[in-house]
Amino acid sequence: MTFRTKLFLIFTLALVVSVGLVAAAVTEVTRRAFDQMNAQHSDALVAQFQREFAQRSEDVVHRVQGIADAEGTVRMAIDLSRPKGDVSVYVNDAAGVAKAHQLDFLDFISNDGSIISSAEWPARFGYKIDWVLQPEDWVARGSFLMKADTQEGPALALLSVSRVRVGDKDLYIVGGERLGREFIASLVLPTGMRALLYRNLDPTFQAADLIDSTGPATQADQFAAIVQKEQQEPGEQIAKINWTADAANAEVFHAMPLLGRQKELLGILLIGSSQHDVVTLQRQIMLLSVGVVGIGLLVGALLGWWGAARVTRPVRQLAEGAREVAGGNWNARVNVRGRNEIAQLAKAFNQMTEQLVDQRERLIQAERVAAWREVARRLAHELKNPLFPLQTTVENLQRAKERGYGEFEEVFHESTGILLAEIENLKNIVGRFSEFSKMPHPELGSVQLNEVVRSVVKLFEAQFGAVGRPPITPELHLDDHLPLIQADATLLHRALENLILNAMDAMPSGGVLMLRTSPAADGGVHLEISDTGTGLTSEECERLFTPYYTTKQHGTGLGLAIVQSVVSDHGGRIWVESEAGVGTSFHIELPKHPPRRSVSFPISFDYEKEKEKEPEPEKHKQEA
Amino acid sequence: MKRRLSLLAAASSAIVLLTALPVRTARRPRYGGTLRVEIGTSIKSLDPAVPAANSGEEPAKEQIDSLIYDVLEPKSKFTVNGAFHVTAFEAGKRAALAATEDYRLGRPFVDSIEITMGRASRDRIVDLELNKADFAEIPAEDARRAAEHGVRVSRSRPDELLALVFLRGGEPKRSRAVDGRVREAIALSIDRAAIVNFILQKEGEPAGGLLPHWSSGTAFLFSTVADVVHAKELSAQIVPVPKIVLGYDSGDSLEQAVAERIAVDAREARVQLTAQAVRPGLENATDARLVRLRMQSKSPGLALEGFVDTLGTLTKIEEKALPDPASPEEIYERERAIVSSYRVVPLVWLPRVYGLSGRVRDWTPPGPGESWPLADVWLDEPVEAAVEEGKK
Repeated sequence: MTFRTKLFLIFTLALVVSVGLVAAAVTEVTRRAFDQMNAQHSDALVAQFQREFAQRSEDVVHRVQGIADAEGTVRMAIDLSRPKGDVSVYVNDAAGVAKAHQLDFLDFISNDGSIISSAEWPARFGYKIDWVLQPEDWVARGSFLMKADTQEGPALALLSVSRVRVGDKDLYIVGGERLGREFIASLVLPTGMRALLYRNLDPTFQAADLIDSTGPATQADQFAAIVQKEQQEPGEQIAKINWTADAANAEVFHAMPLLGRQKELLGILLIGSSQHDVVTLQRQIMLLSVGVVGIGLLVGALLGWWGAARVTRPVRQLAEGAREVAGGNWNARVNVRGRNEIAQLAKAFNQMTEQLVDQRERLIQAERVAAWREVARRLAHELKNPLFPLQTTVENLQRAKERGYGEFEEVFHESTGILLAEIENLKNIVGRFSEFSKMPHPELGSVQLNEVVRSVVKLFEAQFGAVGRPPITPELHLDDHLPLIQADATLLHRALENLILNAMDAMPSGGVLMLRTSPAADGGVHLEISDTGTGLTSEECERLFTPYYTTKQHGTGLGLAIVQSVVSDHGGRIWVESEAGVGTSFHIELPKHPPRRSVSFPISFDYEKEKEKEPEPEKHKQEA
Repeated sequence: MKRRLSLLAAASSAIVLLTALPVRTARRPRYGGTLRVEIGTSIKSLDPAVPAANSGEEPAKEQIDSLIYDVLEPKSKFTVNGAFHVTAFEAGKRAALAATEDYRLGRPFVDSIEITMGRASRDRIVDLELNKADFAEIPAEDARRAAEHGVRVSRSRPDELLALVFLRGGEPKRSRAVDGRVREAIALSIDRAAIVNFILQKEGEPAGGLLPHWSSGTAFLFSTVADVVHAKELSAQIVPVPKIVLGYDSGDSLEQAVAERIAVDAREARVQLTAQAVRPGLENATDARLVRLRMQSKSPGLALEGFVDTLGTLTKIEEKALPDPASPEEIYERERAIVSSYRVVPLVWLPRVYGLSGRVRDWTPPGPGESWPLADVWLDEPVEAAVEEGKK
């Protein structure tokens, strides 16, 4: 992921998070405001219900008291106070009186609690109502809720009791209103709110007992949990009912218990407020937020992209410049204007590359001079050896000429032989230099390295155990699962020959030559050639792969250079590990498929680093 | 002195009253006048060959027809001219009858009878109270109120039985036969005294048997007292207690009140009984019905036979005919057998109650199977006419 992409994502994420947080905050504030408003509406409705209830209660009390004060009722009381008062005359009176006073419930009850006449259940005359005889100040009690029996079944009633006393006998008038659909319909409700009444006439939840202003409530079963909770523990509670999967169809219900004389739960008033407006508003806010986020994202993306591009352009130029430098273009420069840190970095980069170019040129010059000096030294060294015999031979010839013909002929023949041999020697030296300068490019093919190793070792078997020479014991540790690699077997063979020759030279007193192959981590192969010779110093390791450098008396210094060249041409790497008195190990790693254009790695040696890795002072490593 | 003055004042007052008002007991029957009759039902046709449209119309039609046609032989369709003949008829609304001058049993006292049909009970009582009608049959439960409002009330001996009949099970659209213990529990739970005292306003008698005491003399052997404790015990034996539907005639307020009271009483015995109105002629899925059974004869045997004939169509009772003549013991045993099955639960005996205006004379309430003796009644002169006649 590019720096520009990262910056762009950071900008965008910051924008989304910001807008999201704002939208969430607005939504939450709105929801709370609606909740508060709903709570206020519910409270207002509860207060309205309580006012209505109190007004109805007072009205019921007045109407029942009015019946008690009526002349007909007093006359009835007087008649019934007589020893043979006939109650049957009044059996049908309650219905008419109740109708006249607009009461749903009216019972005339005699001194012993027997029903004289009942409006809500005319056939119930003669049966007793005991609770009315309980000692209680009915005037102080006013009206109260009660579960009243009717012909159709139990009903929730708002009742009041009045008493007419004649002599020592009482006539009770129990009247009231049904708390039902009409009562709910009388409540003035704001839009989006509704009231329901559950008549707690049964110990368990009964859906039919839940009514609203139109009659039995629909989907009453949904209220079972609220009702059951009230039945277990009466008290105000708030509950939410999701009618469908759509949250807009949910309703929040404020439940208020309606208690009777004995504080028993007789009914539950449920005031519901629709969540439609809240959810709709929340959705609108959400949609608006999404829109704002979308637009913000778009604008933010554009701005972020532009900003990121503006910020990362110099960085990208720097990276491009660095890549060019890494790719070999030492003349790469970064053109950055401004005074900020990036511009300063670019300037520093430009200075650094200029210094690098300068240093590289100086280094190349130095290396060239050094190389030429080395070549000159080697040439001088190589040429000096045959030149001395040539000089002495020619001087012998001159002296022989001066001494006489007979001796001259003898010396001439001997000297010309020497001269020819030395000239041949010079030609060989020149040939080897010429050969190194004309190293061929690898001809790639599938190569099994183990076979190359075996063939090379076989070639040297005779020399390992040659007479008059301390024996060298070859040890092969070849991995059978070594993969095939694309390589030039001839070049590899040649490189191996050089390494084995080096190893043999390093072990004049004999020893063990160990060759180990193993798969490399990148799918290639690894070859280790170790000897038990005298080892190399750090300086020797450092210069080991330098052409024309040799530690041997008669070496040309081209052997390891050839090896390094072969390995490089195969895209591999070679390094040496050596410890004085223990031996030297050459490591070669070759890829499975050499790159098309092999890169020659400059020889380097981090002596200090290797020193830290290897605590032994005489152990050295050289990597080519 | 004061005493003398008081006696003098009383004597003079008595003389004035005696001269101003006719002496009813001393006067002879008077011919003439129009008897104004009001009935509750609407008669579609006075032709005896045309059957009554419904069970409610039938008794009234029979009564009117009995004024127009005489049946010489019981159960015979051969008729001769009756005491009155029809002078005007408006189906379902009114009829006018005129006295038959050559009636075989002598001309009726009244010249004519005007019959207004379809008058509600309350209206009939009001009309009697306002002297707009001379004769009307009024429901027994309204008799007390009518009397309190100054209406002259005449009662027959109780000859109509209101009974609860558990219907025969297995018939189409009817519920299953009710368990005997449930029937007994319901029968025992019914407070007949309350029905008589409150609903019937003390008109009628609680009925334990199928025949009234004045007819059989054995009615006291049948208990009319409710036994709620035993009823509860019986209902407790049945799990679950079935829901019983008791049907009543939708146009009969008395049946409705009694049915609702039975429902209350049954509820006390922990039997779920629901009163349900039944429209005449329509099949309703009820388990029981309230039935009015009118005695067709003063003879207990014949009356019981008539009841059995009617009840046999409704419920499962033994329809074996009584021997002719049947002894009181045989009648009692038969009656006991039916009642003990609790398929028929006698509730109350109802009298027929008539409201009369003050000018109707020589009225005698008819007995079971008898028709209204309107040919025998005569109308007193109006008070104003009597006063005028006295002045002359």
